[in-house]
Amino acid sequence: MPNTVTWARVKSPWVLHFNSGACNGCDIEIVALLTPKYDVERFGIKLEPSPRHADVLLVTGCVTQQCAERLKRVYDQMPQPKFVVAIGACACSGGVFEGNYNVVGGVDKILPVNAYIPGCPPRPEAIIDGVVKLLNALDPPKPKKQPKQEKQPQLPKEEAKLVAAQPEVIVASPEAKPVIEEAKSDVKQ
Amino acid sequence: MSNNEIDIVSVIESKLKEKVQIQLGQLGTATINTSNGLHRDVLQDMVEADQKTAITAITGLDLGANLGVLYHIRTSNAFITIRAEVPKDNPRIQTITDIIPGAVFHELEVSDLLGVVFEGNSLSGHFVLSEYWPEGVYPLRKDVKANEVKLNPPPPDVSQPEDKSIVKIIIGPQHPALLEPEKFAVTVEGETVTKVEPRIGYVHRGIEKASESRTYIQDVYLVERICGICNACHAYGFVAAVEKILKTEVPPRAKYLRVVALELNRLHSHLLTLGHAGLEIGYETLFQYFWRDREPIMDLIELTSGNRVYASLMTIGGVRRDLKDTDLPKIKTTLMQLRKKLPFYRQLYEHEPSIQARMKNVGVLKREDAIKLSVVGPVARGSGYDIDVRKDEPYEAYDEIPFKKIVYTSGDTWARMNVRMDEVEESINIIEYAIDHLPTGPFRVDVPRNVVAGEAVSRNEAPRGELFYYVKSNGTAYPERVKVRTPTFANIPSFLKTAIGENIADVPPNFVSLDPCFSCTDR
Repeated sequence: MPNTVTWARVKSPWVLHFNSGACNGCDIEIVALLTPKYDVERFGIKLEPSPRHADVLLVTGCVTQQCAERLKRVYDQMPQPKFVVAIGACACSGGVFEGNYNVVGGVDKILPVNAYIPGCPPRPEAIIDGVVKLLNALDPPKPKKQPKQEKQPQLPKEEAKLVAAQPEVIVASPEAKPVIEEAKSDVKQ
Repeated sequence: MSNNEIDIVSVIESKLKEKVQIQLGQLGTATINTSNGLHRDVLQDMVEADQKTAITAITGLDLGANLGVLYHIRTSNAFITIRAEVPKDNPRIQTITDIIPGAVFHELEVSDLLGVVFEGNSLSGHFVLSEYWPEGVYPLRKDVKANEVKLNPPPPDVSQPEDKSIVKIIIGPQHPALLEPEKFAVTVEGETVTKVEPRIGYVHRGIEKASESRTYIQDVYLVERICGICNACHAYGFVAAVEKILKTEVPPRAKYLRVVALELNRLHSHLLTLGHAGLEIGYETLFQYFWRDREPIMDLIELTSGNRVYASLMTIGGVRRDLKDTDLPKIKTTLMQLRKKLPFYRQLYEHEPSIQARMKNVGVLKREDAIKLSVVGPVARGSGYDIDVRKDEPYEAYDEIPFKKIVYTSGDTWARMNVRMDEVEESINIIEYAIDHLPTGPFRVDVPRNVVAGEAVSRNEAPRGELFYYVKSNGTAYPERVKVRTPTFANIPSFLKTAIGENIADVPPNFVSLDPCFSCTDR
């Protein structure tokens, strides 16, 4: 039975989007995810208007004073188990607005965060990557059998550098709290 | 009679010559210094002389012992600033809402952030700041360390006795129809809306205050992040104001490149709204179609600037990046493909029964009301109020590029959306003309880091309407005051008016036809 539940959760996560004081940059990219070019519904991801039916909370924005309380309330209404994804530089740390008088700064000051997706705004591909990594953390895909002695194709030097420079999405384990500190320190590095 | 012949400055001069000081060429066409409540007389004379007089913004300034209040007024052919001052210990000034009703929210914002009391304004209380913000602390005053302000604890949850005969529908802060957290309390009688009470400020990030502690170059990127949709317009508004203070002449190539960036911004914003309107009327296919066609424009923004959303192209003295000749064919093909799709959408808007039923005669705003409420952009042009900063006060290369000012007269949701549809085509024309006639030469000039003391205003036509910037410098590398008045802030009063008396189901299409952007509004 637990396997079935995990299977259902991973194959069809319903996400709720909450704007906690974002500039619309990340929000528009989230909406762009639903549209024909990116179309995340093919992964079973569905944007859900009500917190009571949602599995994953996508938070954008730097968390303003007015939104902090509302964000907490929306999170409390979601059924267990629930996951929080911080999208964009502001949601990860406060971004350019860190230190302003009306800004709390960073979703992790209010809620436990499971995945951070940095970027201003992150590209839609990065958001898909982040959500898929979170789902894989819930139900790690079984390792495929390695074909015998197949050498990894060597990338030319410059290309290898480019690949290394891609921003990594950091995913904490689904059992949120204890692991979060670790994830955060990773982000700061 | 043509309004363009009125010389508003000489009208004021003849009527109030003894009492006011007029400085020509400052902060627009002229600055009029007033005292002792004369700002009302000046305004009254302007409204009588020119029926298209409307308010653009009210800027509050901390001048040490006094608080300055600047009324930025646009008329049919001029842009006037009326300056008044009030003592800080008794900051009272008479309201102008009886002369121009559209000023109500402008006054409310100044009293929330600077503590100026507008006597006679019907509204009061926190408008932008949190409801737990302590009384008597005004973040934009120089002596207030806003970062150290402690908010009041939330009051204990006491459920107030409610009047059962009144049905209030609360839309927001978290609501499926709103992408952004804002609250509208809609009072209904049966299915008819009788009152709409807005509460903005959920996205207030204190950008105006923050810009005072950052250098001019840093501020370009900060003000750009006021809004992720019309970011190039915000960056342009700021750099244009700073360039006016510095008296920098931007090279011709930069002017054209700026036009390309601003118009790409308008294209993607209009396509976004046209799609969003489809979503609000339950026509999801339309939404998906428009957003599909918006993606190539995002690719163009990425091609010209390096980023999908934040172009960061504008800088003081020009643009940061040149357009490569090899990229021009790609831009042209993409625009041509978009142009080919427009007749299909036009035909949908003309003949599709569901669009007709949900948009025609919904939220009708008459021309007189549009002027009185001082609305801007497509909302104004949909009501026959023909203002477009690109034509009225051409900036950058807009005086050299031929394009049409789109005006519809029916004033309903359908007209506003059609203004945007036609502007998509005009934007395509403008970009094509600009890249065909791109001048050669440098694309930026060097400017000093410290900006000489002075003040300037800049206006530009963002996708949602006239975007206003006021910048005051003090000779250092940090600005003294930056004031932003965004188009949605000016357009909200029109929604509050047109929603009343309509069906509750018509609230979403009516509302989205303003193209509301609250991250702009709250800043």
